Amino acid sequence: MIDDNFYQSIYAGTKKFSQDDIQTANATGFGAAADDYAERGIDLNEQLIMNKPATFFFRMNGDAMSEAGIYPGDILIVDRSIKVASGKIVVASVNGDLVVRYFKQTMNKLWLEPANGRLGNMVLEEFTEYRPWGIVTCVIHLLDPVLKTFNTPRKHKK
Amino acid sequence: MIAILDCNSFYCSCERVFRPDIAVKPVVVLSNNDGCIIARSDEAKEIGVGMAGPYFKAKRLIEEHGVMVFSSNYNLYGDMSWRVMETLRMMMGKENIEVYSVDECFINLAHIPITSLHEVALSLKETVERWTGIKVSVGVAPTKVLSKVANRLAKKNKVITNCVLVLDSPRKIEQALQKTLVEDIWGIGGQYADKLKRENILTAFDLSKKDIQWCRKNLGGVVGDRLLRELRGEKSRIMESPLTEKKIIATTRMFGSPVTDINSIKEAVATYTTRAAEKLRRQYCAAKTISVFVVPKEQNSGAHFRHGPSIGSYTKLMQATSLTNELIKPAVSLVDKLFEAGRSYKKAGVMLSDIVLDNSIQGDLFLRNNKNERRLLMDMMDNINFSMRNDILKFAASGTTRNWKMQKNFHSPRYTTRWDELRNVN
Repeated sequence: MIDDNFYQSIYAGTKKFSQDDIQTANATGFGAAADDYAERGIDLNEQLIMNKPATFFFRMNGDAMSEAGIYPGDILIVDRSIKVASGKIVVASVNGDLVVRYFKQTMNKLWLEPANGRLGNMVLEEFTEYRPWGIVTCVIHLLDPVLKTFNTPRKHKK
Repeated sequence: MIAILDCNSFYCSCERVFRPDIAVKPVVVLSNNDGCIIARSDEAKEIGVGMAGPYFKAKRLIEEHGVMVFSSNYNLYGDMSWRVMETLRMMMGKENIEVYSVDECFINLAHIPITSLHEVALSLKETVERWTGIKVSVGVAPTKVLSKVANRLAKKNKVITNCVLVLDSPRKIEQALQKTLVEDIWGIGGQYADKLKRENILTAFDLSKKDIQWCRKNLGGVVGDRLLRELRGEKSRIMESPLTEKKIIATTRMFGSPVTDINSIKEAVATYTTRAAEKLRRQYCAAKTISVFVVPKEQNSGAHFRHGPSIGSYTKLMQATSLTNELIKPAVSLVDKLFEAGRSYKKAGVMLSDIVLDNSIQGDLFLRNNKNERRLLMDMMDNINFSMRNDILKFAASGTTRNWKMQKNFHSPRYTTRWDELRNVN
């Protein structure tokens, strides 16, 4: 009954914002002419997150997808509301592990394919515990180390 | 018709979303300070882990069966709760959603034709599960009390109901009521349940056959009246708007280990006051009364789980305030009053009451009014702390040592709120 992509169209952007959030020059002398043209600044959330309650962030650990442009340490934006289809990059749980791979499907076969020549496919068979977790919609790759200082993962004790 | 959607073992489900390896393993979540078990997965219930029992008592059972144990991770649960509710608001319109608690919400389905109720309920369940990863149950019925009945039965028979139960005919309602014991009815507490059983009223069905006068007399007047009507399918509780203004704001915590020096207690109380004042400002209110209490450790008993009586006192302020510094001062001097040297304490708390809206604070003729500037300072502090997290700005009174902080030995990462705690994938 519920169309898979029906609700997504309603939801653009993720931040509540009000008139007050719009920057003006706030000049004490002459009002800046530019104030008349003030508008909301660019908001990355608006572009990169389609469906906020269904969107999660992950961190790439290995190099299994490096030929697809996902490198170790990159941040992945994952949307659970998008349907899995052959050729999409998914986060999936396979026998209890969470992995990132291309999801591939033919008439009679399912497999997860890395983007790294050194690694083999993971074929999904009857006894594989497989569950799709979400679709990777975007990868954030930080270039300048100045950003990385904010983002290095902390060792978490288990 | 009204639906109640309720998350299955919510805290456990939140932990599992990011841990597919424990999807079918028994899981429990502990309360603040790792004291009690406050959530159990079905698997943990099956092996006999009791609810709300102290952790140390269940420890052997837990270790024997390899139960996964988590300290409560409220940052994660709060975020996941928001996701569940937001999904429902997006699907059904926010005017039709009444969030009842962190893991349950009523949904107004008045505009849905009877024949599509099951389909709608199922799609709510499936969409929430797919978008958020949290498993839920849905009960649908003509009234809130009956929807709770339906939800409970849906949960009890997961295999048959697929966690969705719609009571859309008098016959189904009757059957459901017969399968519900009086103590499982929403709003019937232990005492009333005992009373009803003595009267030989055992099931919700028996109760629904009583007359209104009897219920008024025996089940607390108008409350009993409403309950009976609800059980009979006559709506008497309407959709309520959320409790936006709380009447009392309290922050209390157990200490990680017993504390004997007054300065640590002061630091703790100052920190709790800060937290409570933040909550106060978030609802644009101010408080006129501040109470502080401390709980000493029982002196002679070695048992972990007995509290001594709590010792408390309060101060009435000249003027209602929401400024942290104005609240910390009286709170800390209350500690001076309460503290007895030589005793050790295991818990403290701060409570703000006499709460009024911030713009309606009764002025005091003899106080200078430079409140606005200071309110601005508080707003800035709140903004900085909210965006930078971890209380980057705090009052010196809350201390820097924090050796009274809670124990969280099994804390999972805050996967959804911290950049440095994101889930790794390979």
